[in-house]
Amino acid sequence: MLRFSRTYATKPLHQLKCGIEIHTQLNTKSKLFSLSSNNAFNSDPNTFISYFDIGLPGTQPKLNNEALLYALKLSKALQCDVNLDSSFDRKHYFYGDQPLGYQITQHFSPIAKNGKLEILPELDGVKEPLTVEIEQLQIEQDTGKSVYVTETATEETVSKIDLNRANLPLIEMVTKPNFTDSNQVKVFIKKFQNLVRYLDICTGDLETGAMRIDVNVSVDGFQRVELKNLSTTSSVMNAIKYEFQRQVKLIEAGRGDEIIIETRGWDGSKTNSLRNKESSLDYKYFPDPELPHILLDKSVMEELQLPELPDQVLSKLINKPYSLSLKDATILTYDLDLLRYYLDLFDLAVISNGVKNSKLPGNFVIHEILGNFSKLNMRFDPELIPVAKINELVQLIDNGTISNSSAKLLLQHLFNNNEDISRPLSELIDEFDLRKEETVDNDQELVSVCQEIINENEKTVKNLKKKPNGLKFLVGQAMRVTQGKVNAAEFERVFKGLLNVE
Amino acid sequence: MSSTRSVSAFLANLSKAQTKHNIFISTRPIKELQSTIPNSTTTVAIKDNICTLEEPTTCGSKMLYNFTSPYEATVVSKVKAFGSAIIGKTNLDQFGMGSATTNSHFGITTNPLFPTGQGEAPRISGGSSGGSAAAVAAEGVADYSLGTDTGGSVRVPAALNGVYGLKPSYGRISRWGVIAYAQSLDTVGVMAKDLELLESVYRHLDDYDVKDPTSLLPEFRDKIKELQGEKEQQNEGQVKYRIGVPEEFMIDLLSDKVKTGLTQSLTKLQDQGHEIVPISIPNILNSIYVYFTLASSEASSNLSRYDGIRYGYRSNEDTNAYAKTRTEGFGEVVQDRIILGNYNLSSGSYEKNFLKASQVRNELRMDFNKVFKFEHIFNPHPEIKGDIDFILSPTATTIAPTVEQYQQQTIPEGYAMDILAAPASLAGLPALSVPWFVDDEIPIGLQIISQYGNDDQLFEVAKLLKELN
Repeated sequence: MLRFSRTYATKPLHQLKCGIEIHTQLNTKSKLFSLSSNNAFNSDPNTFISYFDIGLPGTQPKLNNEALLYALKLSKALQCDVNLDSSFDRKHYFYGDQPLGYQITQHFSPIAKNGKLEILPELDGVKEPLTVEIEQLQIEQDTGKSVYVTETATEETVSKIDLNRANLPLIEMVTKPNFTDSNQVKVFIKKFQNLVRYLDICTGDLETGAMRIDVNVSVDGFQRVELKNLSTTSSVMNAIKYEFQRQVKLIEAGRGDEIIIETRGWDGSKTNSLRNKESSLDYKYFPDPELPHILLDKSVMEELQLPELPDQVLSKLINKPYSLSLKDATILTYDLDLLRYYLDLFDLAVISNGVKNSKLPGNFVIHEILGNFSKLNMRFDPELIPVAKINELVQLIDNGTISNSSAKLLLQHLFNNNEDISRPLSELIDEFDLRKEETVDNDQELVSVCQEIINENEKTVKNLKKKPNGLKFLVGQAMRVTQGKVNAAEFERVFKGLLNVE
Repeated sequence: MSSTRSVSAFLANLSKAQTKHNIFISTRPIKELQSTIPNSTTTVAIKDNICTLEEPTTCGSKMLYNFTSPYEATVVSKVKAFGSAIIGKTNLDQFGMGSATTNSHFGITTNPLFPTGQGEAPRISGGSSGGSAAAVAAEGVADYSLGTDTGGSVRVPAALNGVYGLKPSYGRISRWGVIAYAQSLDTVGVMAKDLELLESVYRHLDDYDVKDPTSLLPEFRDKIKELQGEKEQQNEGQVKYRIGVPEEFMIDLLSDKVKTGLTQSLTKLQDQGHEIVPISIPNILNSIYVYFTLASSEASSNLSRYDGIRYGYRSNEDTNAYAKTRTEGFGEVVQDRIILGNYNLSSGSYEKNFLKASQVRNELRMDFNKVFKFEHIFNPHPEIKGDIDFILSPTATTIAPTVEQYQQQTIPEGYAMDILAAPASLAGLPALSVPWFVDDEIPIGLQIISQYGNDDQLFEVAKLLKELN
């Protein structure tokens, strides 16, 4: 009975179905069909353009093979069926920043189809696994940009056109409507971003427009609405949630057929209709009459080597010898610089120098180093604290020269006084008197420190049976008195002996 | 063709021809001509849809009246390297759309082959390369000229002006810097009065160009040479041709003079021991429809870039839009074809128009492959092969009509100007129009069509016809 009611309670009343479309701008050296440099972001308008990019008559397109290679890498990573004979088509629409009057894309015969990206509980922290099916990948040109400016003199709005972005290579990826909640979309986007970064084909940044996302939303099988202008992951999430609620309200009011096929934009708080089916354009697709087909040999895909991909890295990190928690491993997987830093440190410390505690590298990199960077409000920078320095530090902890807390203090010092990075650690240790006391010789001293603290904290000692946490407090006091030079475990042992507790 | 050409005589001829026939949209400054003419072996006129650095490239349209290209077409660099003096840019139907050079923003070009005295009605020069043909036909102006041929635009004006006109195999001569009308059909062609000069210019221009994605790749050029070598070995000495005459070309529209000329030439060839073989290429009958469907579709797409924002004409009435610009900038024929092309590509008619036309085009290619003996290097069915060496037909249905007669024609009648020329364009085949004198000083044009890549044969046959005429 209980089981039944729980199932009933969690079953959503309305079924959301989402599919997404991602435009990925490729970071190739030159543009898709010309030799102008792909370096346009944030540069002066119309400075990275060639005759072809701006649609001068008499110019012709020439496919950049690097863009093709990038598309093949993504196809392979998404386990797509690669089309050995794909071709380019023209999609027509007039716009001031569309210099040819059409976009060259792959409509009839795209480069790849039928791929997938798995979302897994053990790697992606979701409850249920989800296979996101990739319908197709197509190579296409980016457009220029229009900037609308109101002239102060005339109060007239004019559009200014920057064609730096025109003819940059894009891959358009379309998924099947496999998503049933917005969190799955979020996880997918993060995972896809990370994938293109590992493949080194795109920065994966939404903020710069290097990656652009459109979402299709339908509820309970009613008509499908397309959402555009989603420039951050959170706007994607919010727009889906808003649109779901909007459609649910209509459905519950019995007005489900008012949901029409249309494109809606996101203004930060709600979705607004941009255009509906009646006003949608006829793109008059037809095969580009002068671009040759892309004919590939079967062996190309077999020979194509991919770098290690995020899921492989994640699996590696949560298993031996690294044995990181999924949470820590995920943090590393999402920051390639940090990951490289961690792996270098692990190699140096654990594998080359035999550090016994294999948790130390992970703890230092993820908690201490990242923590210090965020305290300083800085992006992680492997140059600031060289791996070799951390390796030394980790070894000093592992061989008992300094305690964990002394090492942390030392690290903090190096962050705050980065000029000391070149001084030998032993010199700093001596300067700050951080060398761990020799346990055997100084037992007497420890006992007297502990006894003094016991005397000063009668209440805590008295209540120790009821509140065993009091022991931690006493140890903390002792650490404070000795400025962390002594291992906490040592103090605990001495206290336990003196107070006769387990 | 001599380096001792008199500059003053040349300038007088140029001025006379230009005044009478409106051949050029722009000519090089006299100072330049005075220095280049005596120092060049040949003079050349260039159709004004081929980009040059020195003057605007207008395509005969108001839309590009002020467009000066920042780059030079590969063929222009090549004619310079050939040692030719460029005279200027010749008139054409706007963007190459037309068969008479009557659709130009810069006026009508008339035909220098015909007398222009009192009571003589001016005749059309053919099109769209009418200016280039007239520049060669006019006495003492251009030794040769460059045109473009999409569906007959070099061959038809060459025939009407009584000169040689070559449309090479698609992809042989670079199109880089040539303003597109319909890229799957566009070729650069050459016109000349002198057959040897025509051939040597062709050999100079026939070269792979990495900048043109449709340029025939070196490996295929080598393959064709290999095939031609094999054929020569088989022939060893006296060549007896099997000449195909498609029944589909024997249309009612052919004038008596054209029919007579064709019969004369065939008879003389037969007398020489060559065999005349009636053949059938059924899809020739569909060619003109296929041609106008495909060419208009590609044109509507290619011409969508002209919005006056970055270059070219811009209407004062357009601020953030450009409908006015396009209405005022394009001529009537261009607008008609844009509308036709948009219709053919619209989602409701794409399949039954554009796609159907593309299919028929492929069938036409196969029809041709079934008759030619020479192997088509891209033919997916090499086992299908005929025994015909080349096809002979008239180039145009009549000699040049008067401008008035031409302009009284209905639009479909006007389209019929290209009826004999379009099939070779659709199939990408090389074709050469040769003047053939029937009974007076106004020749008709005979069209030799060879298998794809076998352009060399055109010159062999043209020499033979020249000897027989």
